[in-house]
Amino acid sequence: MTTTTDKVTIGRTLIAMTVASVLLVACAAAPVAPDGASEVRTKLTQLQSDPNLASRVPLAIKEADAAVRTAELPEADQALGSHRVYIADRKVEIARAQAETLLLEDQRAALSAQRETARLDSRTREADVAKEQVAIARNEADAARVATADAQEQTAELQRQIDAMNAKVTDRGLVLTLGDVLFASGRADLKAGTVNHLDQLVAFLGRYPSRTVMIEGHTDSVGSDDYNQGLSQRRADSVRSYLVRQGVDAARVTTMGAGESTPVAGNESATGRQQNRRVEVIISNPALAAR
Amino acid sequence: MTSTPKMRRGPPLRAAAGLAGALMIAACASTPPAPTGQLQAAQLAISNAERTEAGRYAAGELGEARTKLAYANTAVQEERMIAAAQLADQSRVEAELASAKTAAVKAKVVNDEMKRSTGTLIDEMQRTAGDEQ
Repeated sequence: MTTTTDKVTIGRTLIAMTVASVLLVACAAAPVAPDGASEVRTKLTQLQSDPNLASRVPLAIKEADAAVRTAELPEADQALGSHRVYIADRKVEIARAQAETLLLEDQRAALSAQRETARLDSRTREADVAKEQVAIARNEADAARVATADAQEQTAELQRQIDAMNAKVTDRGLVLTLGDVLFASGRADLKAGTVNHLDQLVAFLGRYPSRTVMIEGHTDSVGSDDYNQGLSQRRADSVRSYLVRQGVDAARVTTMGAGESTPVAGNESATGRQQNRRVEVIISNPALAAR
Repeated sequence: MTSTPKMRRGPPLRAAAGLAGALMIAACASTPPAPTGQLQAAQLAISNAERTEAGRYAAGELGEARTKLAYANTAVQEERMIAAAQLADQSRVEAELASAKTAAVKAKVVNDEMKRSTGTLIDEMQRTAGDEQ
């Protein structure tokens, strides 16, 4: 009896073990999550952890999450498993694309504000440039007006000076004729008290430093040519010396003795001869010199 | 009298037989019903995507959706209705993705254009500023 009972017990144990092993095998072969499910989960997690995107599409993400959960279910039917992974993957991508669209649309306000700022800056700058140009033009006009006024003033002043010196405007320049009153007959040194005219010339040359002068000495026909030539040169030199002593740069003053060669009147009468005894100061015209 | 009960037993038996037959026929007919709704949904999603110019901005996804729908129709003809339903669903989500991607690309095009025109304004301004100096 005991042996029978033992046999029965052993038999039962064997059956139990077999069942257990079958169960174990069943467990080992139990369906696992389909291929690709974890990759889709990773994609979804990345989307969910992007604060700029996730917050914009809560519903699409919820739907994608449900699809991913379904895809993660262990599934014996391989076709169904990969179908679920496919659907889940596309749902995640749809959610991402929708989120990106909304993000881009939300960025437009800032973009158009930037553009508006740039446009305003541009207009402001244009206006500033225009204003500046107007100001520049106005300044130039003012300057031109001042320059014109100055030039007019200068011309008037020059004319006054010329008038004061009793000078004549000729093609050679301003010609200032100093009569023989400067010199005693036959003498080349300047008479005292006769330098009034010369002082006006000094002042003029001081005022117009670009002008140079040529001093020409002339005599009447009395006496030899050589003597008159020498005398006229000495008289011219005498005037030059005076000018230089008064501060006129020597380089601006040249002299020439013309002798009796260029009379301005007849030598027959005393009056004519007096007119011929003279010193002419020719002041260069800078405008003519520039030509 | 004995015939009466027999006569009475007749109709229930016939009814049972008829019911069984109907069930069998129904079982045969319903084995795989064509996934008409899913096929229509896929077709609609593709049409929607086409309307958003997905052919230009998400050509890959749109092509994939069309291919899946074609496979689904083939599966219906072969009476592989489960596969047909899955393929139709895949076609639909693919077409929806095509639409979503198209919208994203279009939005980006708009934003890029805005950035470009702002950039142009700033460039012009700097050039003008450069000219002044």
